[in-house]
Amino acid sequence: MALQSTPFRWGALARLLHWAMALGLGYAVGLGLWMTDLPVGIQKIKTYALHKSVGITLLGIAVIRLLWRLLDDRPLPPPGTPRWQHRAAGLTHVLLYGLMLLLPLSGWLYNSAAGFPLRWFKLWNLPRLAEPDPALKALAHDLHVYAAWTLVALVVLHAAAALEHHVVDRDDTLNAMLGRQPPVRRKDPPP
Amino acid sequence: MTVATRLRFALLVSLLVQAAAGVPGAAAAAPAYEVDRAQSSLTFVGDQQGEKFIGTIRSFRAAIRYSPSDLATSLLDVSMDLKSIDTKNSERDAALATAVWFDYAHTPVATFRSVGPLRATKDGAVADADLVIKGKSKRITFPFRWTPAAGGAALDAKVSLDRLDFGLGAGEWADDSIIGHRVDVIVHLALKPAAPSP
Ligand code: HEM
Ligand code: HEM
Repeated sequence: MALQSTPFRWGALARLLHWAMALGLGYAVGLGLWMTDLPVGIQKIKTYALHKSVGITLLGIAVIRLLWRLLDDRPLPPPGTPRWQHRAAGLTHVLLYGLMLLLPLSGWLYNSAAGFPLRWFKLWNLPRLAEPDPALKALAHDLHVYAAWTLVALVVLHAAAALEHHVVDRDDTLNAMLGRQPPVRRKDPPP
Repeated sequence: MTVATRLRFALLVSLLVQAAAGVPGAAAAAPAYEVDRAQSSLTFVGDQQGEKFIGTIRSFRAAIRYSPSDLATSLLDVSMDLKSIDTKNSERDAALATAVWFDYAHTPVATFRSVGPLRATKDGAVADADLVIKGKSKRITFPFRWTPAAGGAALDAKVSLDRLDFGLGAGEWADDSIIGHRVDVIVHLALKPAAPSP
Protein backbone atom coordinates (compact mmCIF):
# COMPACT_ATOMS: atom_id res chain seq x y z
CA MET A 1 0.00 0.00 0.00
CA ALA A 2 1.53 3.25 -1.11
CA LEU A 3 1.87 5.95 1.49
CA GLN A 4 1.98 8.68 -1.12
CA SER A 5 -0.91 9.68 -3.32
CA THR A 6 -0.67 9.45 -7.09
CA PRO A 7 -2.61 11.30 -9.82
CA PHE A 8 -5.06 8.39 -9.68
CA ARG A 9 -5.30 7.31 -6.06
CA TRP A 10 -5.20 8.73 -2.59
CA GLY A 11 -2.23 7.33 -0.69
CA ALA A 12 -2.62 5.50 2.60
CA LEU A 13 -1.57 8.47 4.72
CA ALA A 14 -3.96 10.91 3.06
CA ARG A 15 -6.80 8.43 3.48
CA LEU A 16 -5.93 7.71 7.08
CA LEU A 17 -5.78 11.40 7.90
CA HIS A 18 -9.02 12.11 6.03
CA TRP A 19 -11.06 9.40 7.73
CA ALA A 20 -9.51 9.90 11.15
CA MET A 21 -10.46 13.55 10.86
CA ALA A 22 -14.00 12.67 9.73
CA LEU A 23 -14.51 10.29 12.67
CA GLY A 24 -12.84 12.60 15.17
CA LEU A 25 -14.87 15.64 14.13
CA GLY A 26 -18.07 13.63 14.34
CA TYR A 27 -17.09 12.52 17.84
CA ALA A 28 -16.14 16.06 18.92
CA VAL A 29 -19.40 17.53 17.60
CA GLY A 30 -21.41 14.77 19.28
CA LEU A 31 -19.65 15.30 22.61
CA GLY A 32 -20.00 19.07 22.25
CA LEU A 33 -23.75 18.93 21.76
CA TRP A 34 -24.26 16.31 24.45
CA MET A 35 -22.05 17.73 27.18
CA THR A 36 -23.60 21.20 27.28
CA ASP A 37 -26.95 19.66 28.29
CA LEU A 38 -25.55 17.43 31.04
CA PRO A 39 -26.50 18.37 34.60
CA VAL A 40 -23.69 20.05 36.53
CA GLY A 41 -21.55 17.30 38.04
CA ILE A 42 -18.32 15.42 37.73
CA GLN A 43 -19.62 13.67 34.59
CA LYS A 44 -20.06 17.01 32.88
CA ILE A 45 -16.53 18.12 33.77
CA LYS A 46 -15.10 14.83 32.54
CA THR A 47 -17.04 15.03 29.29
CA TYR A 48 -15.85 18.59 28.71
CA ALA A 49 -12.29 17.43 29.39
CA LEU A 50 -12.72 14.63 26.84
CA HIS A 51 -14.20 17.00 24.25
CA LYS A 52 -11.27 19.35 24.69
CA SER A 53 -8.67 16.55 24.54
CA VAL A 54 -10.23 15.14 21.36
CA GLY A 55 -10.37 18.65 19.88
CA ILE A 56 -6.72 19.35 20.61
CA THR A 57 -5.80 15.98 19.10
CA LEU A 58 -7.70 16.96 15.97
CA LEU A 59 -5.80 20.25 15.85
CA GLY A 60 -2.59 18.20 15.76
CA ILE A 61 -3.98 15.93 13.06
CA ALA A 62 -5.12 18.94 11.00
CA VAL A 63 -1.64 20.47 11.13
CA ILE A 64 -0.03 17.17 10.08
CA ARG A 65 -2.60 16.81 7.35
CA LEU A 66 -1.92 20.25 5.92
CA LEU A 67 1.84 19.70 6.02
CA TRP A 68 1.45 16.34 4.31
CA ARG A 69 -0.76 17.90 1.66
CA LEU A 70 2.13 20.23 0.75
CA LEU A 71 4.41 17.26 0.13
CA ASP A 72 1.93 14.79 -1.28
CA ASP A 73 0.53 14.39 -4.77
CA ARG A 74 -3.24 14.16 -5.32
CA PRO A 75 -5.62 12.49 -7.77
CA LEU A 76 -6.75 14.37 -10.85
CA PRO A 77 -10.45 15.12 -11.13
CA PRO A 78 -12.31 12.46 -13.09
CA PRO A 79 -12.19 13.18 -16.81
CA GLY A 80 -14.95 15.45 -17.99
CA THR A 81 -15.46 17.20 -14.64
CA PRO A 82 -16.90 20.67 -15.33
CA ARG A 83 -14.64 23.52 -14.32
CA TRP A 84 -17.23 25.00 -11.90
CA GLN A 85 -17.48 21.66 -10.13
CA HIS A 86 -13.74 21.38 -9.75
CA ARG A 87 -13.66 24.96 -8.42
CA ALA A 88 -16.58 24.36 -6.04
CA ALA A 89 -14.91 21.24 -4.68
CA GLY A 90 -11.64 23.14 -4.28
CA LEU A 91 -13.35 25.98 -2.42
CA THR A 92 -15.20 23.56 -0.13
CA HIS A 93 -11.94 21.81 0.68
CA VAL A 94 -10.21 25.11 1.50
CA LEU A 95 -13.10 26.01 3.83
CA LEU A 96 -12.99 22.57 5.42
CA TYR A 97 -9.26 22.91 6.09
CA GLY A 98 -9.87 26.36 7.55
CA LEU A 99 -12.58 25.03 9.86
CA MET A 100 -10.38 22.13 10.94
CA LEU A 101 -8.07 24.77 12.40
CA LEU A 102 -10.67 27.32 13.46
CA LEU A 103 -12.75 24.90 15.55
CA PRO A 104 -10.09 23.73 17.96
CA LEU A 105 -8.43 27.16 18.07
CA SER A 106 -11.69 28.97 18.86
CA GLY A 107 -12.49 26.30 21.47
CA TRP A 108 -9.07 26.76 23.02
CA LEU A 109 -9.48 30.54 22.97
CA TYR A 110 -12.93 30.28 24.57
CA ASN A 111 -11.61 27.94 27.21
CA SER A 112 -8.75 30.33 27.99
CA ALA A 113 -10.90 33.46 28.13
CA ALA A 114 -13.38 31.64 30.39
CA GLY A 115 -10.56 30.69 32.75
CA PHE A 116 -11.03 26.93 32.53
CA PRO A 117 -8.14 24.50 32.76
CA LEU A 118 -6.98 22.59 29.68
CA ARG A 119 -5.33 19.25 30.14
CA TRP A 120 -4.73 16.87 27.28
CA PHE A 121 -5.96 13.41 28.34
CA LYS A 122 -4.85 13.86 31.97
CA LEU A 123 -1.26 14.12 30.76
CA TRP A 124 -0.23 17.66 29.88
CA ASN A 125 -1.60 21.03 30.70
CA LEU A 126 -1.61 23.44 27.81
CA PRO A 127 -0.98 27.18 28.13
CA ARG A 128 -3.68 29.82 27.89
CA LEU A 129 -4.19 31.60 24.58
CA ALA A 130 -5.58 34.59 26.49
CA GLU A 131 -6.19 35.81 30.00
CA PRO A 132 -9.71 35.46 31.45
CA ASP A 133 -11.89 38.12 29.83
CA PRO A 134 -15.73 38.09 29.66
CA ALA A 135 -15.97 39.96 26.33
CA LEU A 136 -13.46 37.71 24.60
CA LYS A 137 -15.13 34.70 26.18
CA ALA A 138 -18.50 35.60 24.62
CA LEU A 139 -16.89 36.29 21.25
CA ALA A 140 -14.88 33.07 21.16
CA HIS A 141 -17.93 31.08 22.24
CA ASP A 142 -20.00 32.43 19.35
CA LEU A 143 -17.12 31.78 16.97
CA HIS A 144 -16.81 28.20 18.20
CA VAL A 145 -20.53 27.43 17.92
CA TYR A 146 -21.03 29.12 14.51
CA ALA A 147 -17.91 27.44 13.18
CA ALA A 148 -19.25 24.07 14.37
CA TRP A 149 -22.56 24.52 12.54
CA THR A 150 -20.82 25.79 9.41
CA LEU A 151 -18.62 22.71 9.51
CA VAL A 152 -21.61 20.40 9.85
CA ALA A 153 -23.36 22.10 6.91
CA LEU A 154 -20.24 21.94 4.69
CA VAL A 155 -19.58 18.30 5.54
CA VAL A 156 -23.14 17.39 4.61
CA LEU A 157 -22.63 19.17 1.28
CA HIS A 158 -19.22 17.55 0.84
CA ALA A 159 -20.46 14.04 1.61
CA ALA A 160 -23.48 14.53 -0.63
CA ALA A 161 -21.16 15.55 -3.47
CA ALA A 162 -19.02 12.46 -2.84
CA LEU A 163 -22.10 10.25 -2.99
CA GLU A 164 -23.27 12.02 -6.11
CA HIS A 165 -19.96 11.17 -7.79
CA HIS A 166 -20.31 7.59 -6.69
CA VAL A 167 -23.96 6.91 -7.40
CA VAL A 168 -24.94 9.34 -10.13
CA ASP A 169 -21.71 10.02 -12.03
CA ARG A 170 -20.45 6.52 -11.25
CA ASP A 171 -16.84 7.74 -11.17
CA ASP A 172 -13.97 6.79 -8.86
CA THR A 173 -13.87 9.90 -6.64
CA LEU A 174 -15.16 8.10 -3.56
CA ASN A 175 -13.43 4.80 -4.40
CA ALA A 176 -10.12 6.65 -4.45
CA MET A 177 -10.73 8.06 -0.98
CA LEU A 178 -11.89 4.66 0.28
CA GLY A 179 -8.67 3.10 -1.02
CA ARG A 180 -10.41 0.70 -3.37
CA GLN A 181 -7.98 -0.39 -6.00
CA PRO A 182 -7.34 -0.62 -8.76
CA PRO A 183 -9.62 2.27 -9.68
CA VAL A 184 -12.44 0.23 -11.17
CA ARG A 185 -14.39 2.80 -13.05
CA ARG A 186 -11.74 4.91 -14.71
CA LYS A 187 -12.03 5.13 -18.44
CA ASP A 188 -8.35 6.06 -18.85
CA PRO A 189 -6.15 3.43 -17.15
CA PRO A 190 -3.07 4.63 -15.30
CA PRO A 191 0.02 4.59 -17.52
CA MET B 1 7.63 55.86 106.42
CA THR B 2 3.99 56.72 106.47
CA VAL B 3 1.36 54.16 105.63
CA ALA B 4 0.62 55.89 102.38
CA THR B 5 4.25 55.87 101.33
CA ARG B 6 4.56 52.20 102.25
CA LEU B 7 1.52 51.32 100.13
CA ARG B 8 2.82 53.24 97.18
CA PHE B 9 6.20 51.48 97.55
CA ALA B 10 4.54 48.07 97.67
CA LEU B 11 2.54 48.83 94.54
CA LEU B 12 5.66 49.92 92.70
CA VAL B 13 7.50 46.74 93.69
CA SER B 14 4.62 44.55 92.63
CA LEU B 15 4.36 46.32 89.25
CA LEU B 16 8.10 45.89 88.71
CA VAL B 17 7.91 42.20 89.59
CA GLN B 18 4.95 41.73 87.27
CA ALA B 19 6.68 43.48 84.41
CA ALA B 20 9.85 41.46 84.91
CA ALA B 21 7.93 38.18 85.00
CA GLY B 22 5.78 39.17 82.05
CA VAL B 23 2.59 38.49 83.96
CA PRO B 24 -0.22 39.90 81.88
CA GLY B 25 -2.15 42.72 83.40
CA ALA B 26 -5.00 44.48 81.69
CA ALA B 27 -2.77 47.35 80.67
CA ALA B 28 0.00 45.07 79.42
CA ALA B 29 -2.08 43.16 76.80
CA ALA B 30 -0.50 42.85 73.37
CA PRO B 31 -1.40 45.85 71.21
CA ALA B 32 -4.32 45.63 68.80
CA TYR B 33 -3.95 46.15 65.07
CA GLU B 34 -6.40 46.81 62.32
CA VAL B 35 -6.18 45.66 58.75
CA ASP B 36 -5.34 48.00 55.92
CA ARG B 37 -7.76 46.51 53.39
CA ALA B 38 -6.18 48.02 50.32
CA GLN B 39 -2.78 46.51 51.09
CA SER B 40 -3.93 43.13 52.42
CA SER B 41 -5.01 39.97 50.69
CA LEU B 42 -6.49 36.64 51.64
CA THR B 43 -6.21 34.13 48.83
CA PHE B 44 -6.15 30.41 48.21
CA VAL B 45 -4.57 28.36 45.48
CA GLY B 46 -6.57 25.41 44.23
CA ASP B 47 -5.87 22.85 41.55
CA GLN B 48 -8.32 22.01 38.78
CA GLN B 49 -7.30 19.34 36.29
CA GLY B 50 -3.67 19.99 37.02
CA GLU B 51 -3.98 23.74 36.62
CA LYS B 52 -3.60 26.15 39.52
CA PHE B 53 -6.26 28.76 40.12
CA ILE B 54 -6.34 31.58 42.62
CA GLY B 55 -9.38 32.45 44.71
CA THR B 56 -9.53 35.78 46.47
CA ILE B 57 -11.62 36.27 49.59
CA ARG B 58 -12.45 39.91 49.11
CA SER B 59 -14.37 40.51 52.31
CA PHE B 60 -13.09 39.55 55.74
CA ARG B 61 -12.66 41.04 59.19
CA ALA B 62 -9.68 40.49 61.45
CA ALA B 63 -9.00 41.27 65.09
CA ILE B 64 -5.27 40.97 65.68
CA ARG B 65 -3.36 41.46 68.91
CA TYR B 66 0.30 40.77 68.79
CA SER B 67 3.46 41.51 70.65
CA PRO B 68 6.53 39.29 70.52
CA SER B 69 7.03 39.98 74.20
CA ASP B 70 3.44 39.18 75.12
CA LEU B 71 2.48 36.02 73.28
CA ALA B 72 0.00 34.99 75.96
CA THR B 73 -2.39 37.83 75.17
CA SER B 74 -1.63 37.85 71.47
CA LEU B 75 -4.49 36.52 69.39
CA LEU B 76 -5.70 36.18 65.83
CA ASP B 77 -9.40 36.21 65.06
CA VAL B 78 -10.63 36.36 61.47
CA SER B 79 -14.10 36.01 59.93
CA MET B 80 -14.40 35.52 56.21
CA ASP B 81 -17.40 36.23 54.02
CA LEU B 82 -17.19 33.31 51.62
CA LYS B 83 -19.71 34.88 49.25
CA SER B 84 -16.98 37.34 48.35
CA ILE B 85 -14.78 34.63 46.84
CA ASP B 86 -13.64 35.44 43.32
CA THR B 87 -11.81 32.80 41.27
CA LYS B 88 -11.88 34.72 37.97
CA ASN B 89 -14.33 32.25 36.46
CA SER B 90 -18.05 32.89 36.79
CA GLU B 91 -19.05 29.22 36.34
CA ARG B 92 -16.60 28.12 39.01
CA ASP B 93 -17.74 30.89 41.37
CA ALA B 94 -21.33 29.80 40.88
CA ALA B 95 -20.38 26.19 41.62
CA LEU B 96 -18.65 27.19 44.87
CA ALA B 97 -21.96 28.56 46.16
CA THR B 98 -23.68 25.18 45.94
CA ALA B 99 -24.16 22.60 48.67
CA VAL B 100 -21.32 20.42 47.32
CA TRP B 101 -18.81 23.20 48.01
CA PHE B 102 -19.18 26.10 50.46
CA ASP B 103 -22.99 26.02 50.62
CA TYR B 104 -23.42 29.77 50.95
CA ALA B 105 -27.11 29.34 51.78
CA HIS B 106 -26.28 27.64 55.08
CA THR B 107 -22.67 28.48 55.91
CA PRO B 108 -21.68 31.76 54.29
CA VAL B 109 -19.01 32.57 56.86
CA ALA B 110 -15.76 30.84 57.79
CA THR B 111 -13.92 31.69 60.99
CA PHE B 112 -10.37 31.36 62.23
CA ARG B 113 -9.48 31.84 65.92
CA SER B 114 -6.22 31.25 67.69
CA VAL B 115 -6.47 29.16 70.85
CA GLY B 116 -4.14 29.63 73.78
CA PRO B 117 -0.83 31.45 73.79
CA LEU B 118 1.25 31.84 70.65
CA ARG B 119 4.77 30.40 70.46
CA ALA B 120 7.70 32.44 69.25
CA THR B 121 9.62 31.48 66.10
CA LYS B 122 12.66 32.96 64.43
CA ASP B 123 10.75 35.54 62.43
CA GLY B 124 7.30 35.56 64.02
CA ALA B 125 5.16 33.09 65.88
CA VAL B 126 3.03 29.97 65.63
CA ALA B 127 -0.61 29.88 66.64
CA ASP B 128 -2.82 26.89 67.26
CA ALA B 129 -6.10 27.87 65.75
CA ASP B 130 -9.59 26.57 65.13
CA LEU B 131 -10.60 26.95 61.50
CA VAL B 132 -14.31 26.51 60.88
CA ILE B 133 -15.50 26.09 57.31
CA LYS B 134 -18.92 24.77 56.37
CA GLY B 135 -19.63 24.13 60.04
CA LYS B 136 -16.65 21.78 60.40
CA SER B 137 -13.99 22.79 62.87
CA LYS B 138 -10.37 21.74 62.60
CA ARG B 139 -7.45 22.61 64.85
CA ILE B 140 -4.59 23.75 62.65
CA THR B 141 -1.06 24.97 63.21
CA PHE B 142 -0.59 28.43 61.82
CA PRO B 143 2.98 29.73 61.59
CA PHE B 144 3.34 33.31 60.44
CA ARG B 145 6.02 35.84 59.79
CA TRP B 146 5.78 39.21 61.50
CA THR B 147 7.55 42.11 59.85
CA PRO B 148 7.44 45.44 61.64
CA ALA B 149 7.05 48.26 59.16
CA ALA B 150 6.77 52.00 59.30
CA GLY B 151 3.59 52.73 61.24
CA GLY B 152 2.56 49.11 61.67
CA ALA B 153 3.52 45.62 60.62
CA ALA B 154 2.92 42.92 58.05
CA LEU B 155 1.69 39.41 58.85
CA ASP B 156 2.45 36.75 56.22
CA ALA B 157 1.50 33.12 56.28
CA LYS B 158 0.90 30.13 54.05
CA VAL B 159 -0.89 27.04 55.25
CA SER B 160 -1.82 23.91 53.37
CA LEU B 161 -5.28 22.45 53.94
CA ASP B 162 -7.08 19.34 52.78
CA ARG B 163 -10.47 20.39 51.42
CA LEU B 164 -12.01 17.04 52.42
CA ASP B 165 -11.38 17.87 56.12
CA PHE B 166 -14.11 20.45 55.74
CA GLY B 167 -16.43 18.38 53.57
CA LEU B 168 -15.70 20.55 50.54
CA GLY B 169 -16.52 18.61 47.40
CA ALA B 170 -17.32 15.22 48.86
CA GLY B 171 -18.76 12.19 47.04
CA GLU B 172 -18.06 12.14 43.31
CA TRP B 173 -16.23 15.46 43.64
CA ALA B 174 -13.62 13.89 45.92
CA ASP B 175 -11.70 12.84 42.77
CA ASP B 176 -8.27 14.36 43.34
CA SER B 177 -7.38 14.35 39.63
CA ILE B 178 -10.25 16.71 38.79
CA ILE B 179 -10.11 19.05 41.79
CA GLY B 180 -7.00 18.68 43.93
CA HIS B 181 -7.44 17.87 47.62
CA ARG B 182 -4.72 20.25 48.70
CA VAL B 183 -5.48 23.92 48.93
CA ASP B 184 -2.87 26.47 49.96
CA VAL B 185 -4.11 29.50 51.80
CA ILE B 186 -1.95 32.59 51.50
CA VAL B 187 -2.38 35.41 53.97
CA HIS B 188 -0.88 38.84 53.68
CA LEU B 189 -2.14 41.36 56.19
CA ALA B 190 -0.89 44.93 56.28
CA LEU B 191 -1.56 46.12 59.82
CA LYS B 192 -1.60 49.45 61.53
CA PRO B 193 -2.11 50.10 65.23
CA ALA B 194 -5.79 50.16 66.08
CA ALA B 195 -7.24 53.41 67.26
CA PRO B 196 -7.58 53.05 71.04
CA SER B 197 -11.10 52.04 71.87
CA PRO B 198 -12.95 54.61 73.95
C1 HEM C 1 -12.18 20.15 16.26
C2 HEM C 1 -12.67 20.26 17.15
C3 HEM C 1 -13.93 20.71 17.84
C4 HEM C 1 -15.23 20.63 17.46
C5 HEM C 1 -15.79 20.05 16.18
C6 HEM C 1 -16.01 21.21 18.51
C7 HEM C 1 -17.38 21.30 18.51
C8 HEM C 1 -18.14 21.79 19.53
C9 HEM C 1 -19.58 21.83 19.58
C10 HEM C 1 -20.51 21.34 18.47
C11 HEM C 1 -19.94 22.39 20.75
C12 HEM C 1 -21.35 22.64 21.26
C13 HEM C 1 -21.71 24.05 21.04
C14 HEM C 1 -22.99 24.42 21.70
O1 HEM C 1 -24.04 24.02 21.19
O2 HEM C 1 -22.93 25.10 22.74
C15 HEM C 1 -18.74 22.70 21.47
C16 HEM C 1 -18.71 23.28 22.70
C17 HEM C 1 -17.54 23.52 23.41
N1 HEM C 1 -16.26 23.32 22.96
FE1 HEM C 1 -15.72 22.50 21.25
N2 HEM C 1 -15.17 21.64 19.50
C18 HEM C 1 -13.88 21.35 19.13
C19 HEM C 1 -12.73 21.62 19.83
C20 HEM C 1 -12.69 22.20 21.05
C21 HEM C 1 -11.49 22.48 21.80
C22 HEM C 1 -10.08 22.15 21.34
C23 HEM C 1 -11.88 23.06 22.97
C24 HEM C 1 -11.04 23.55 24.12
C25 HEM C 1 -9.85 23.55 24.27
C26 HEM C 1 -13.31 23.14 22.95
C27 HEM C 1 -14.06 23.66 23.98
C28 HEM C 1 -15.41 23.69 24.00
C29 HEM C 1 -16.18 24.14 25.13
C30 HEM C 1 -15.61 24.62 26.45
C31 HEM C 1 -17.52 24.05 24.74
C32 HEM C 1 -18.72 24.34 25.62
C33 HEM C 1 -19.34 25.62 25.33
C34 HEM C 1 -20.48 25.85 26.29
O3 HEM C 1 -20.39 25.42 27.44
O4 HEM C 1 -21.45 26.47 25.87
N3 HEM C 1 -13.77 22.62 21.78
N4 HEM C 1 -17.65 22.33 20.71
C1 HEM D 1 -18.67 11.23 5.81
C2 HEM D 1 -18.29 11.71 5.02
C3 HEM D 1 -17.23 12.05 4.05
C4 HEM D 1 -17.09 11.55 2.79
C5 HEM D 1 -17.97 10.52 2.12
C6 HEM D 1 -15.94 12.18 2.21
C7 HEM D 1 -15.46 11.93 0.96
C8 HEM D 1 -14.39 12.54 0.38
C9 HEM D 1 -13.87 12.26 -0.91
C10 HEM D 1 -14.42 11.22 -1.85
C11 HEM D 1 -12.84 13.08 -1.14
C12 HEM D 1 -11.98 13.14 -2.39
C13 HEM D 1 -12.34 14.34 -3.17
C14 HEM D 1 -11.45 14.53 -4.36
O1 HEM D 1 -10.78 13.57 -4.74
O2 HEM D 1 -11.45 15.63 -4.87
C15 HEM D 1 -12.69 13.91 -0.01
C16 HEM D 1 -11.74 14.90 0.13
C17 HEM D 1 -11.68 15.76 1.19
N1 HEM D 1 -12.41 15.66 2.34
FE1 HEM D 1 -13.91 14.38 2.71
N2 HEM D 1 -15.40 13.07 3.11
C18 HEM D 1 -16.17 13.02 4.24
C19 HEM D 1 -15.97 13.75 5.36
C20 HEM D 1 -15.07 14.76 5.49
C21 HEM D 1 -14.90 15.56 6.66
C22 HEM D 1 -15.65 15.41 7.96
C23 HEM D 1 -13.93 16.44 6.38
C24 HEM D 1 -13.38 17.50 7.24
C25 HEM D 1 -13.68 18.46 7.63
C26 HEM D 1 -13.49 16.21 5.02
C27 HEM D 1 -12.52 16.97 4.39
C28 HEM D 1 -12.04 16.70 3.14
C29 HEM D 1 -11.05 17.50 2.47
C30 HEM D 1 -10.37 18.75 3.01
C31 HEM D 1 -10.81 16.89 1.24
C32 HEM D 1 -9.85 17.38 0.16
C33 HEM D 1 -8.55 16.69 0.30
C34 HEM D 1 -7.52 17.43 -0.50
O3 HEM D 1 -7.74 17.70 -1.68
O4 HEM D 1 -6.49 17.69 0.10
N3 HEM D 1 -14.18 15.17 4.51
N4 HEM D 1 -13.64 13.55 0.93
